[in-house]
Amino acid sequence: MENLIEITIDNQPVKVDPSENIVEACARAGVKIPTLCYLKGISKNASCGVCVVEVEGAKSLVRSCVQNPTPGMKIWTSSPRVLRARKTAIELLLANHPSDCLSCVRADTCELHTMANLLEVRADRFPSYKKYPLPDTTSEGIVRDDKKCILCGRCVSVCEETQGVNAIAFTGRGARTRVATFMDRGLAQSACVQCGQCSVVCPTGAITEKDESRDVFDALRDPKLNVVVQTAPAIRASLGEALGLPPGSLVTGQMVAALRRLGFAKVFDTQFTADLTIMEEGSELLERLSHGGTIPMITSCSPGWINFIEGFYPDLLGHVSTCKSPQQMFGAVAKTYYAQTAGIAPDKMRVVSIMPCTAKKYEARRKEMDSAWDWWRGKDAKLAGPRSFFDVDWALTTRELARMIKLAGIEIARLPEEDFDDPLGRSTGAATIFGTTGGVMEAALRTVYEIVEKKPLENIELTQVRGFDSIKSAEVVLGGSPVRVAVAHGLSNARILLDEIRAGKSPYHFIEIMSCPGGCIGGGGQPVLADIEKKLARNHALYVEDQKLPLRKSHENPAVSALYKDFLGKPLGHLSHELLHTSYRAREF
Amino acid sequence: MPKVANAKTQSLDSIIESWKGKNGSLLGALEHAQQNDPKKHLSEATLREISKRLNVPLSQVYSVATFYSFFSLKPQGEHVVVVCRGTACHTRGSLVLLNEALTRLGIKEFKEEEENSATSSDSFATIRTVACFGQCALAPVIMIDGKVISRMTISKLVSLLEKLKKGGEI
Repeated sequence: MENLIEITIDNQPVKVDPSENIVEACARAGVKIPTLCYLKGISKNASCGVCVVEVEGAKSLVRSCVQNPTPGMKIWTSSPRVLRARKTAIELLLANHPSDCLSCVRADTCELHTMANLLEVRADRFPSYKKYPLPDTTSEGIVRDDKKCILCGRCVSVCEETQGVNAIAFTGRGARTRVATFMDRGLAQSACVQCGQCSVVCPTGAITEKDESRDVFDALRDPKLNVVVQTAPAIRASLGEALGLPPGSLVTGQMVAALRRLGFAKVFDTQFTADLTIMEEGSELLERLSHGGTIPMITSCSPGWINFIEGFYPDLLGHVSTCKSPQQMFGAVAKTYYAQTAGIAPDKMRVVSIMPCTAKKYEARRKEMDSAWDWWRGKDAKLAGPRSFFDVDWALTTRELARMIKLAGIEIARLPEEDFDDPLGRSTGAATIFGTTGGVMEAALRTVYEIVEKKPLENIELTQVRGFDSIKSAEVVLGGSPVRVAVAHGLSNARILLDEIRAGKSPYHFIEIMSCPGGCIGGGGQPVLADIEKKLARNHALYVEDQKLPLRKSHENPAVSALYKDFLGKPLGHLSHELLHTSYRAREF
Repeated sequence: MPKVANAKTQSLDSIIESWKGKNGSLLGALEHAQQNDPKKHLSEATLREISKRLNVPLSQVYSVATFYSFFSLKPQGEHVVVVCRGTACHTRGSLVLLNEALTRLGIKEFKEEEENSATSSDSFATIRTVACFGQCALAPVIMIDGKVISRMTISKLVSLLEKLKKGGEI
């Protein structure tokens, strides 16, 4: 902050950092410039024209998202000319925007609506002239509706720059410009990995998750069905925020209470199978290290990441752990072990998961994810039923659950804190931190260290892999030899590590990759428009929860030990392979 | 762009190779590939090949190919007639010229507000509209097979089209 320069903003002299744009400079000086296409760290396309300001000496208004302050600059942020221009920009966008705001899923989080209200747009000034194709509902996770698109370009930026996926781009020209996939085929046939980051940055209802909450409500009201729910680690740190509590509110107990009130027969925890994942994945790592397996091994919890490597680096699939994600391990264990123990007919059982993720919807529908049905068929064909069923029936995002809770009139802040049900609701702090970047790595090392060294780990907090640096690395000594690990979040960062492996230059033994920036706390199914501060608050909440828990290492989870003792046998055993492991295939688009 | 010599004999492979690593390689390769194509268009296979070889994502290749009115993703006729529909040409009667050309070439279905090109069923000619050639002082302007012809009139247009039909060149 040494090279501050002096400018005036609305006649007030202020010192600002010339490396930041005028929007940020004004924000620091207490003036909020309205923006629509600009999103800090994601996109600045200067396409919407809302952030204009007047600069003395400039012949036209200046778009403050792409202009940095210069010494002596005199800026007016709310002159009549500025306000008129901003209002016109919004009026032009509204000309072709449908006015079905009352029934839009983004009704209360729409930035275009907020902006129109702020800038006092009170009438439709320009007639509509565009025609649009029907919404793109081809993919399992994401729906794109061109009608509501204002061509701000945030989705294109996040898909290209943050994720390096490039599924979508601007196509056509002039009034026919649209955001589309290659040959306009729809997301399912494109490079899209369904991470959902586009749905988080979209200012309007143009990109949303595929809403399956109605199906879940129907199942809950069906007396013939036994509907259980699992909640991903990151939900407890974001559900409160989605329901109006401050970002980072930790609502584990109230979330359990709310789910019970929605009518789920049992409220279980994906964290149970996160602990189970560590047992399997940790054992797999040790197996690979000691038997000359493919190294570095890469984690497999994040389905967007799996879609990514299957599409872009299929030659490296041998590096990915064969462990299913905790969501899928849960489905397989619930519909076998739990269904059998509790005496529930497997085809009458429904597993709902609450996920921070849109790609989880796709993962649940992968055709190979019906291990429980296979298991039952081998055991009792009559009980298995004639038709195959998925291990996980529906994966709902944090946003869908929040809407269900609101619809049911449940006020989360007033609920008592309740406990998860046994046995699939028991978990440890290691599982809690799965929800944030670096967490799977830390959890794995807590367990792997103790398995190898056969003594308690003194400092269990591996701070080198925490935080939001794009790639983090650390070295630990296991059994006398160094093991190098790396963590990447955001798929553009993943590319860096993958290119190293491809070039034969990767120094690592074990790599954690999560698709979304920040990990699951920044997932594509999380509350929209999360800036870095909100993500840090969610991240912090998970580490606070980890510290509070009596058990913080996966191998200390008594329910997981019981599962091995009573059912699975041992990690990487025969039944584990049948239920908890999977295989991958190259994806063409 | 470099002069396209012996365009018909060049393979897509060598076209892409000749553009690799150069500035504007994507635009150049697309233009070159379309000119070299027997049906004067960019097929999906061509776009995919260019994407793969130049290491540009498919969505971005599609973005560029749909942005420039020069590119056609549909097969074009033997001859290409481009009618300028910019403001200056419009006031000087380009709509009448467009309709005349459509009638003469036997193209019935052409909704200007939805698309910008249509090809006759016998693949003899494609008619395309553009927003402006930048030749407003010489309006109305029409381009036939790459040659820009200014101050176009109906009789001039009719005789040019007749010439094409008899196998002549513009």
